[in-house]
Amino acid sequence: MARRKFATLKRFLNYIGVEGDRTIFTWVSASEGDRFAQVIKGVTAKVKALGPANKMLKNIA
Amino acid sequence: MENIESKLREEAKRLLLEKRADIIVGYEKGTLPLTATPCFVSTEAEADKLVYNELCTQNLAKYVHDLITAHKNSQKRVKPEDRKKKVIGVVARGCTTRSLIIHLQERQYERDEVYIIGVPCEGYVDKKNLAKALDSAEIIDGNLDGLQLKIKTAAGDKTIAVSDVIAPNCAVCRFNNPIISDIMVGTPAPVKNPATEYDKISEFEKKDIAERWDYFTKEMEKCIRCNACRQACPSCYCPTCFAEQSQPQWVGIGEDKSDTQVFQCMRLFHMVGRCVDCGSCISVCPMGVDLRNYLKKIDKDCWELFGTRAGSSMEEMPPLGKFSEQDKEDFIYNP
Ligand code: SF4
Ligand code: SF4
Repeated sequence: MARRKFATLKRFLNYIGVEGDRTIFTWVSASEGDRFAQVIKGVTAKVKALGPANKMLKNIA
Repeated sequence: MENIESKLREEAKRLLLEKRADIIVGYEKGTLPLTATPCFVSTEAEADKLVYNELCTQNLAKYVHDLITAHKNSQKRVKPEDRKKKVIGVVARGCTTRSLIIHLQERQYERDEVYIIGVPCEGYVDKKNLAKALDSAEIIDGNLDGLQLKIKTAAGDKTIAVSDVIAPNCAVCRFNNPIISDIMVGTPAPVKNPATEYDKISEFEKKDIAERWDYFTKEMEKCIRCNACRQACPSCYCPTCFAEQSQPQWVGIGEDKSDTQVFQCMRLFHMVGRCVDCGSCISVCPMGVDLRNYLKKIDKDCWELFGTRAGSSMEEMPPLGKFSEQDKEDFIYNP
């Protein structure tokens, strides 16, 4: 079940030290254009507030 | 613990003689003092090498899976009507039977392909705890006298109680007696102290996020990507591990810090509802990475969120295979 996986993933990542706000999960139906826009706005705002991710990133120089 | 070795050998001989099992997976004396190592017994004479004591660390369900898979692969070239089933006998304590249950629930083999010789368990001696108790003095020789370890070290003789150097997972074990078995050798062992099993995790959860990330990076820097943890784990049985896939390549195989973190993160996360806290991965890790801090967290979440413990019952569905209307929904984002 995807939802159970996400519930545990969010907790697990937060536990190792990756901010829980970076793991965002929700349902949007194809007919919910408005909601989709809202979700994306919300996610963008959250991520902006947290700043760039710097954990578990690979430096491919 | 009562000495059940002679009973165990007798049972193994009987199984082989009556052709109820083709191979029996058990433990034999290890090559180093105070160790025991997994072994395979296929003749009656070999059954005499079987041992069972507090030095047996590894979870034998791993070998059951390996043997059955290898046999099934070898049967692929045989005409379907001529294919034979092989029965693997296994000496199984609590955690081993939990892993067997997980295999059975994940349809890895049929119940009649394993013959489970259940044994009670008092917990096993943790190498690292033992080394600490001996101030890392080299062990020259040693033997187990009841629940006392009589050890000859480079720094003199010592006697240590097994209970003082027991593995951390065994000290809080909830399932130290077999959950399923075909035959039980020995009487059930007294229960351990599971009430405190999540204490350390709750403490770690309260730490600051930066501190948690620090600990994770520090631990994972120790890891040399030897994959011993994966090889020892009964729940890690994929024919091709994601860590070795090249199309797509999920994670780099090199020494890059982030690759190691991602590898660990993914292996650990694959243990949701599947880790039985047998400690096999921890006991084989050459670098002493603190994997249990994370595995136990996963177990704790699984219990708190879904009320299930991995492999604890044959009838109950695995936690990720079902859904309940009572599941918490606080993780879902609703703007
Ligand atoms: S992850 Fe480690 S403790 Fe958990 S089942 Fe696998 S080997 Fe055992
Ligand atoms: S056994 Fe230890 S060092 Fe080897 S891959 Fe696993 S965690 Fe890393």
